[in-house]
Amino acid sequence: MQVIIEQLINGLTIGSFYALIALGYSMVYGVLKLINFAHGDFFTLGSYIGYTILVFGSALVTSHFGLWGGLIAATMVAAISLAIVGILVERSAYRPIYASGRLPAVVSALGASILLQNAIMVIWGPRYQAYPASLIPNIHLHLGGIHITLLQLVILIMSLCLLGILYYVIQKTTFGAAIRATALDRDTAALMGINFNTVILFIFTIGPALGAVTGVMVGSYYRQISFTMGWNYGLKAFTATILGGIGNLPGAMFGGLILGVLEMLGCAYISAAWKDVFVFLILILVLIFRPTGLFGETIAEKV
Amino acid sequence: MKNSKLMRVLMIMGVVVLSLVLTGPSVVGAKEPLVIGLQAPITGPWAYEGQMAKQSCEIAAQLINQKGGILGGRMIEVRVVDDEGQPKTGALAATKLVGQKDVVAVVSTYGSSVCEPASNIYEKFKKVNIGYGVTAVRLTQRNMKYFFRTCGRDDSQGEFFAKVAKERFNAKRIAIMHDNTAFGKGLAEDTKRGLKQMIDSGKTQIVYYDAITPGEKDFHVLLTELRESKPDLWYFTGYYAEAALLVNQAREIGIKFPFVGGNAAINDEFVKIAGLSVAKGCFMTNEPLPSDLPSTEAKEFLKAYKDKFGEIPSSPWPVYAADALNVIAHAVNESGSTDADVLSDYLRNKANGVPGVTGPIGFTEQGDREGVPFYLYVVDAQGRIVVSK
Repeated sequence: MQVIIEQLINGLTIGSFYALIALGYSMVYGVLKLINFAHGDFFTLGSYIGYTILVFGSALVTSHFGLWGGLIAATMVAAISLAIVGILVERSAYRPIYASGRLPAVVSALGASILLQNAIMVIWGPRYQAYPASLIPNIHLHLGGIHITLLQLVILIMSLCLLGILYYVIQKTTFGAAIRATALDRDTAALMGINFNTVILFIFTIGPALGAVTGVMVGSYYRQISFTMGWNYGLKAFTATILGGIGNLPGAMFGGLILGVLEMLGCAYISAAWKDVFVFLILILVLIFRPTGLFGETIAEKV
Repeated sequence: MKNSKLMRVLMIMGVVVLSLVLTGPSVVGAKEPLVIGLQAPITGPWAYEGQMAKQSCEIAAQLINQKGGILGGRMIEVRVVDDEGQPKTGALAATKLVGQKDVVAVVSTYGSSVCEPASNIYEKFKKVNIGYGVTAVRLTQRNMKYFFRTCGRDDSQGEFFAKVAKERFNAKRIAIMHDNTAFGKGLAEDTKRGLKQMIDSGKTQIVYYDAITPGEKDFHVLLTELRESKPDLWYFTGYYAEAALLVNQAREIGIKFPFVGGNAAINDEFVKIAGLSVAKGCFMTNEPLPSDLPSTEAKEFLKAYKDKFGEIPSSPWPVYAADALNVIAHAVNESGSTDADVLSDYLRNKANGVPGVTGPIGFTEQGDREGVPFYLYVVDAQGRIVVSK
């Protein structure tokens, strides 16, 4: 029984990482109908900035505020930096071509992704970097027979809280309604008095910032980061977005969590080597019976 | 008018004469360099190994050139092409090198999964290629004329592990984990075969046999399953990036049984990423590390390497790369030819006891290196990788 709970926690932790990154994809796609390939690299950049702050700022921060203080500082700096980078990328790579249609936008997104990935490689080097073990709190807990670290628990709770806060903002607040309205029909929303620029500002600051926070969490959890990790996580997160229904924000969150749990089930009960096969098989089956994803709305065709 | 035209002609003539004078001696007097290619993972997941291999080949070439070069004064030049540790980039790298006519032979590469497509291309275009970090048995079972390797093979490693499991650890329940790559899976299969006798006689059983997906970071779920299968000993036959993550996460979830890595699992990067407290006490089946090589050639090479780069290589593969270069140079020198068929015949039939950093070099009929020993290594309390007593 305890093993099942441990595995569930493992699955939910991975799932919450996917969910947080999937949110970024889903927000941008919903409003702009653009798949922001650079989002995986926002996540990677956040992780690297967190690493830099932790390693070079450790003398200042960690010695004064302790290990947790160091992590919090790294997270905050990474989030703010990525919010700025997100806006920069939007202004330079996406805004000039909104009017040009979807294909130029896709190409531009790919270009932004390649640029960011190679910039990270040039700045930090092609080798793996590691969040130093001495700067990460390492406290083991045994709750009712379950092996878990305090960091894992904090990360899981923080991820679920972030997801909860975002769910609330998007579903229950007026601004969230504005975002959803813009996703539904941009021009009509503008006619209703919704400022498109404010919506863009939100999704390109909060999305990348969330990606950065996830990056620091992933960095401190696994401690190994590389400039290509955005690709792997981005792919999984994108799958989660499709699973939940692209353009649907709560769908992306649940898609991520479900994907993490599915991976866990495939790995634990079928075979670790076949787990990805299992996950994508489920995805294909879901899409056959519900093409718009688990939570996607079937959009009526105008005749 | 006439004057300025004359001046112009004189100036142009002057420039031509000057350039001939300046470049003349090098064109007329000196010999052209002998180019040996190196295909290695300079970037990508194995960048650490690739860069050490590049440095090793530079030192090997430097030592030969300092002694006067080969074929009466030709200096060795190493031409590096990055294969990024990916099979498809490996094929592109090989294509690039076969297209360069001045490349005599190639040292290629690290990673059996990358070597396979690359060596197919070298074979097709008749270029001698010598692998230095490719131990999958399958590679020399393809009846190839131009492929050799200076490193050992996994079947001997599998047998060595079985011996270690019995004598050193007395393990009754063994867990084998691989990463589905050509090398990792091959070594796991070879280990199973090496353990066959012990399994048939009931002395031991394999309680866990599964694979990770390389490139992934999260192994908690799979490690929990491993823990529940209750082995005495855990053998991981994959690469160091995943090994570091695995060991870290294993200790987090309370795994206490000993970890033994295959010969790609532990180097300085593993210790750095896993952290000293976790890496300490991890074992590895490995060919001899550079620091444990006894020959005079080894001492000379390591001194030159340390003088230039500050520390010696932390894994055996870079020195096998250096020896691949050494044996190519020797073959060219002794046979007096850069023709691929002549070189291939020399390496296969006449190369015997060629002095190398890792010991005397000779090849079997299939192109394997003769006589490679294995040791059991362990990470000590200071993070150094030493032979386990």
